[in-house]
Amino acid sequence: MSLSRLISTAWRENLLFSVLVELTYRCNLDCFFCYNDLGLRGEPMQRDEYFRLFADLQEMEVLNLTLSGGEPLAHPDFLVLGARARQLGFVVRIKSNGHALRGELARRIRDEIDPFLIETSLHGATAATHDRQTRVPGSFDRLLANLAEMRRLGLRVKINSTLTAWNEGEIEGMFALADSLGIPLQVDPEVTPRDDGDREPLQVAPSREGVLRLFRLQFERGRAAAGAAAEVARGGDDGTMPAPVHKHCGAGSSGIAIDPYGNVYPCVQWRRPVGNLHRQSIREIWRRSAGLAEVRELTGHVKEMVDAQGSGSHLLNFCPGSAAAQAGSPLALYPAAEQRRELLEQVMAEEAGRPLLPVVR
Amino acid sequence: MSFGDGFLRFPDLFPGRRGGEPWGERSLVLDVAGGPYRVAGLAAAQEEAVRRKFDGLCRAAGTAAAVAIQVFRAPAADFLERDVRGWEYMLDMEHSRSSVLLAGMRLMARLDWAPGLTGGLWTCEAAGEEWASIFENYFRVLAAYRLLGAGGAVLHSAGVSDGTSAWLLLGPSGAGKSTSSRLCLERGASVLSDDLNAVLPAAGAPRLVRLPFAGDLGGPPGGPPSYPLKAVLRLVKGTEDRLRPISPAAALAGLVAAAPFVNHDPWRHEALLGTLERLARSVPAYELVFSLGGGLWDILRAIPA
Amino acid sequence: MSSITLSTVFRRRSDVRYRRIEGEAVVLRQSAAEVLVLNEVGASVLDLADGERSVGEWIEALRSEYDADPETLTHDVLTFAGELEEAGMLEVVAP
Repeated sequence: MSLSRLISTAWRENLLFSVLVELTYRCNLDCFFCYNDLGLRGEPMQRDEYFRLFADLQEMEVLNLTLSGGEPLAHPDFLVLGARARQLGFVVRIKSNGHALRGELARRIRDEIDPFLIETSLHGATAATHDRQTRVPGSFDRLLANLAEMRRLGLRVKINSTLTAWNEGEIEGMFALADSLGIPLQVDPEVTPRDDGDREPLQVAPSREGVLRLFRLQFERGRAAAGAAAEVARGGDDGTMPAPVHKHCGAGSSGIAIDPYGNVYPCVQWRRPVGNLHRQSIREIWRRSAGLAEVRELTGHVKEMVDAQGSGSHLLNFCPGSAAAQAGSPLALYPAAEQRRELLEQVMAEEAGRPLLPVVR
Repeated sequence: MSFGDGFLRFPDLFPGRRGGEPWGERSLVLDVAGGPYRVAGLAAAQEEAVRRKFDGLCRAAGTAAAVAIQVFRAPAADFLERDVRGWEYMLDMEHSRSSVLLAGMRLMARLDWAPGLTGGLWTCEAAGEEWASIFENYFRVLAAYRLLGAGGAVLHSAGVSDGTSAWLLLGPSGAGKSTSSRLCLERGASVLSDDLNAVLPAAGAPRLVRLPFAGDLGGPPGGPPSYPLKAVLRLVKGTEDRLRPISPAAALAGLVAAAPFVNHDPWRHEALLGTLERLARSVPAYELVFSLGGGLWDILRAIPA
Repeated sequence: MSSITLSTVFRRRSDVRYRRIEGEAVVLRQSAAEVLVLNEVGASVLDLADGERSVGEWIEALRSEYDADPETLTHDVLTFAGELEEAGMLEVVAP
């Protein structure tokens, strides 16, 4: 028995395993590259609707429930919903910018929700760079203080970061900062457009040199630990790579995302609505959505397309949602993926040429 | 105390951007000085309440707007309950170069220049007079900043007119703005507002502009929206009616003290001083001692151009 | 590890989260961030560890579900219970 085989089963058999819920698009920061579609409109989900959703998800044996946004803590029922998720036995993750995660709120989250993991966001190694992204002065200092407090409270924390043109020169400093806090840092080398197609965030896309620098650093760090390659390639929801299966990913097969208005998507990246929870239960959508059926078939075609790229195709870290957003089709090979493979191959070649033992001269 | 501490349960969650879940899909356009202003994201009951309060100033939904305001939901639990009896309610404000943040009773709000002015308002009030008051409290601030950006100013003042020209009566709370307005009204004047008026530059001479924010007198539109400004007067209660010219510097001091909201904003001091200095230099300014006898109206009309 | 008998009552530890997938169970122990995958019998044991039923009652419940030799079933259940206790997934309520 292995987790990777189990995830493969989930993908193959369309067994819903992980759900990400964007509770609100309200946020206490104003990150320049935020992907939220702030112009999206609809009827916000109410508390009892979330309770019904969670109950259905529990019956469907969903394990992972991630609360996200915007800033999920800003949702009026965040604590109540989080507590309910805990009661129902979900592995609860919270994606928060961390700005309000201190004091009474942090303690209540620990005591009432007991999340498996809180994922926060760091945008630079310095206040100037981080605050430039968040556009809230003082947010860097606040985040560092809150991270230390979260650790003292015993909360499990991880830092996510996106490489940008603004922070690509500080990447070593960011890892050093995370190391000093004793918190793992994961860096994504790709900036994506907004969910409404607005490409403004791409203005801060990192340079080739910046991405190379990141990959080299990750390999250097990975040399000390096992699985350096796994650190830079995409895994399952928790980083686990599934055993080979006929689909490229679990989008719409083992995972979904839900926005504040009840729209259901194959994943947080693939913003193709496949149903709405005001009109149908999640069970009905999962079983009967024509959109989901199409997505499940598409992920098979995506795998064929990616496999056809030859050896090293896994280095593309291809995402059909990103492809749809950036190139208009979930099957289109978009430039960021091609660049990723190219640069990873370059770094791996550099690594291959590195002597295994120090050369004594 | 930090920003919002007095009004908000979670000041850390103050909105950093114009985002969230609107109350509804309704919108309206207000034709008020500095506008038109589009207010969107309203529930039907909110739209109705604003239309009632700003009766006569609402335009067709398709009217182009100069400023967009988006209204969002916020839970009641976000706000601290305060007993406001016996104290003057003042919004908590935080200023920066490109934004102004506001916290108050059941309201959180932003003004952002990105680069044009936009507004965001978060409240738990979904209808009625409570909601309309919250909206007006925010709108007063927004209008003050908007008009400053247009080279004008909103001023705590009484504005009175003879149908051709207007006079601006300044003074702090208790100086007699409402009393003097009423005395002029009894003598045949029209009152634009006894609480807030705007002054805007125009070719030739500044104009006193009607605003829909009144105390006891004035407010709803009735007559032209603006008049040429003949003079600025600093009110003093007395036992006789008497006029005394004051220097532009003294006039400027009175004007700055009368400019609500923006006169506490260090990022806009230069702009405010510049605007009000131009005003102080362009119209005569006086100290007006007035009695309850009502003779001030004759004095005003006798001020030479 | 405690000595397990048919009258031992276990419950799942409070930081354990799990779901059944096609008979198996994926189990996460939050405090240690450990993930296990259990087979059907292990998954059933986890379901039954409700803090009220004894190991003996588990075996009775499972006997009707699995067509297994009673001695083998008893041995497997006791072994599983011990392994899950050692892995920090279960704790003893009553000996």
